[in-house]
Amino acid sequence: MSSTLVPEVPVTNGREPAERAPTDWKTHAMQSRIRKRYAAERRFRLLGLGAVALSAAFLVFLLGTMLINGAGGFVRTEIALPLDFPALSLDVEREQLAQRGADLALAGAGLQNAVGVAAVSAFGDEGEDYLADNAWLTVREAIKDDPSILDRRVTIAVPASSRIHLAATDDAEPAIEAAAARLNAAGALTRGFNWSFLTGSDSTDPTSAGIWGALKGSLLTMAVTLALAFPIGVLSAIYLEEYAPKNRWTDLIEVSINNLAAVPSIIFGLLGLAVFLGTFNMPRSAPIVGGLTLALMIMPVIVIAGRNAIKAVPPSIRDAALGVGASRVQVVFHHVLPLALPGILTGTIIGMARALGETAPLLMIGMRAFIGSAPEDLASPATVLPVQIFLWSDQVSSGFVEKTSAAIIVLLVFLLAMNALAIYLRNRFETRW
Amino acid sequence: MTDNSLPATKMSARDVHVYYGATHAIKGVSIDVDQENVTAFIGPSGCGKSTFLRTLNRMNDTIPIARVEGDITLDGENIYSPAMDVVQLRARVGMVFQKPNPFPKSIYENVAYGPRIHGLAPVKSDMDRVVEQSLRRAGLWEEVKDRLHDSGTALSGGQQQRLCIARAIAVDPEVILMDEPCSALDPIATAKIEELIHELRGRYAIVIVTHNMQQAARVSQRTAFFHLGHLVEYGVTSDIFTNPRQERTKDYITGRYG
Ligand SMILES: Nc1ncnc2c1ncn2[C@@H]1O[C@H](COP(=O)(O)OP(=O)(O)O)[C@@H](O)[C@H]1O
Ligand SMILES: [Mg+2]
Repeated sequence: MSSTLVPEVPVTNGREPAERAPTDWKTHAMQSRIRKRYAAERRFRLLGLGAVALSAAFLVFLLGTMLINGAGGFVRTEIALPLDFPALSLDVEREQLAQRGADLALAGAGLQNAVGVAAVSAFGDEGEDYLADNAWLTVREAIKDDPSILDRRVTIAVPASSRIHLAATDDAEPAIEAAAARLNAAGALTRGFNWSFLTGSDSTDPTSAGIWGALKGSLLTMAVTLALAFPIGVLSAIYLEEYAPKNRWTDLIEVSINNLAAVPSIIFGLLGLAVFLGTFNMPRSAPIVGGLTLALMIMPVIVIAGRNAIKAVPPSIRDAALGVGASRVQVVFHHVLPLALPGILTGTIIGMARALGETAPLLMIGMRAFIGSAPEDLASPATVLPVQIFLWSDQVSSGFVEKTSAAIIVLLVFLLAMNALAIYLRNRFETRW
Repeated sequence: MTDNSLPATKMSARDVHVYYGATHAIKGVSIDVDQENVTAFIGPSGCGKSTFLRTLNRMNDTIPIARVEGDITLDGENIYSPAMDVVQLRARVGMVFQKPNPFPKSIYENVAYGPRIHGLAPVKSDMDRVVEQSLRRAGLWEEVKDRLHDSGTALSGGQQQRLCIARAIAVDPEVILMDEPCSALDPIATAKIEELIHELRGRYAIVIVTHNMQQAARVSQRTAFFHLGHLVEYGVTSDIFTNPRQERTKDYITGRYG
C-alpha cells in the first residue's frame, strides 16, 4: 500500500533503525485522510439530524392527529329549543321549586316527556332524536333558576344529540345531515366550549360523557402511588447504598430489584388482585388499590434511580462531613440527599409517568367498570385516564371517537405538566459546583 | 514547664495493626504525638501513612473491610473503646484531606456547618464570630470577607484548602490531621498553607502526611518515617534529616527510593 504515513525506512544496520524521516503533512495520503475524516463527521451529523427529524415527525404526526380528532371533543353543539310551557301544562307546584325536592317534582311532572314533545312540535317527528338524552336536565336547571318561565314561551339552548353534533361538525348519514342543515339554516344551532366534558364523568351518551371522573381517579391513584412509592423507594435506596453491608444477601436484593423493574405490569395487576382484593378484601375498582398496585410497580424504578443518584455523590463530600463530626444520618440528610435529589426526582417522575399511562394492571383490579360519577374518596369506585381512553375507544357509537382523542389530549397535557415539573424541580435543586 | 522536660503527649498509639481484608497495611506501629509540635509522617507512597493517620480519628470505620488492632489514646482515653463517641472524637480530632473538598454551599455555610451540628454557636451573632475567627485563623478572612455567601467551590484550589482548614478549626478541635494537604496545590498556595501550619502550631496538635521531604523539614518538629507498614524511625525532624539512625531512612532521604 502506498498510503502509509511514514515512509518505510530501511534498517541500516542490524542493531538500530535509521532516523525516522520527518513526517510530510502535505502528502496525498494525508490529504485524503483529512477528507475522509471530514466526510465521516458530516455523515454522522446528517445521520443524527435525520434521527431527530424522524422522531420529531412522528411526534408531530401523533399530536397533530390527536389534536384534529380530539378538538371536537371539547366543543358541543346546542339547539335552540322553543318551549311553550303553558301549552305543555306541567303539573308542578311553584312552592316545590324553591325547595330541595325540586328535581324530583319536575321529574315526576314529566319534564323529560314534555321536552320531547316540545322538540317534536318544533322540529318534526324526528325532533326528539335531535336532542341529547340529557337535554331535559338543562331545561330543568333553567326552570330552577327562574320558575317564572313556566308561565311563558321561552327558547332554551340545549345540548344537541351526538348525531346532530357530528353532522354539524363532520360527515354523517345523509338524512341527519339534511336535518342538521335545516336546523342550521333556521339559526337554531350554536357551538360552544363543552364545559361538561371537563366536569362530567363517563356516560353512555357521548354528548354528556366527561373526563373529570377519570381525571380525578387518576389524581387520587397517583397521589396514593407517590405517597407510598417515593418515601419507601428513597429510604430503601439510602439504606442499601449507605448502610447495608455488602454481602450475598444485599447482592440478592439488588438483583431482585433490578428484575422487578423489568417485570411486565400486568403481573403486578395480578399480584394486586390476589393480595389487595383477595387477601385483604379491599374495595374493587378503588383508587387506593390502584395506587398500591402501581406503587409496587414503580418502587423498583425509584430505588434504582435513587441508588444511582446517591452513588454519584462524590465520596469526598461524605469524608468532609464525617471529618467535622457529622453522624451518618447527618451526612445522608445534610449532604448526600440534597446532592442526589435531582436524580431521585427525575427517576420518580419517570416512574410516575409510567404509572399514569398504565392500563393493564388496573384492568386486573377492576378499574374497567363503567363509573358514572367522579370518585369521592380513595375507596369509592373510580376509573383512570388510560382506562377511560381504552373503554371509549371500544365504543361502537361514533360520538366516542372524538371523546377518545379528547381524553388522550387531557392525558398528554397531564404528562407534559408532570415532565415540566420534573424539569423545574431538577433545575431548582441542582447544585452548582 | 522547662525546655528539657518532655512535651505533653496528646495522642499515643501502641502496637497498632491495620488490615484491609487480608492486606496487612500497618504492622505494629507505636508512636506518641505531642501537643506543641507539628508531626510529619513521611515515606514512599503506599507505605500506610494515610491509613495510620485515619486510625487517629477513626475515619477507617467507614471502610467496611478495614480492621484496626492495638490501642490509640487521646489524652489517655482509648478512642476505640465502646465508651468513646466517634462523632465527638472526629470533632476533637479534625481532618483536612488531600483534595480540597468544600461542601457545595456558601463559604459561610462551609465553616458554620460543624459548629451548627455540634450546637457550639446557637445564636447567629456567636456563629458569625466563630466563622470570622476560623477564617482569620485559616488566613482566608481578608480574601473572602466580602463574599461569604458565594459558593465555597468557586474559590481557587489553595483558597478551598484553607477553607477546609477553617472548617476543621471551626469545631474547635484539639488535634488536626492533614493528609498531603498541598499535593493538589501550586507552589504559592503550598507556601501559604505551610505558613498557616506554623501559625496554628501550639494551639492545635498537628499531624501532617507528606510525600515531600522538604515540606516535612520546613513545617515539622517531629518526623516519623514509614516503610511498608512499619514505623521505621521517629524523632526530632532535624535529626531525622541530618543524622538518620536507620539505613532505610537514610536511603529514602537521600533519594535512593521513593
Ligand atoms: N480502602 C482500601 N482498601 C484496601 N486497601 C487499601 C485501602 N486503602 C489503602 N489500602 C492499601 O493499604 C496500603 C497503604 O495505603 P495508604 O495508607 O493509602 O498509603 P500512603 O498514604 O502511604 O500512600 C496500600 O497497600 C493500599 O493499597
Ligand atoms: Mg496517602
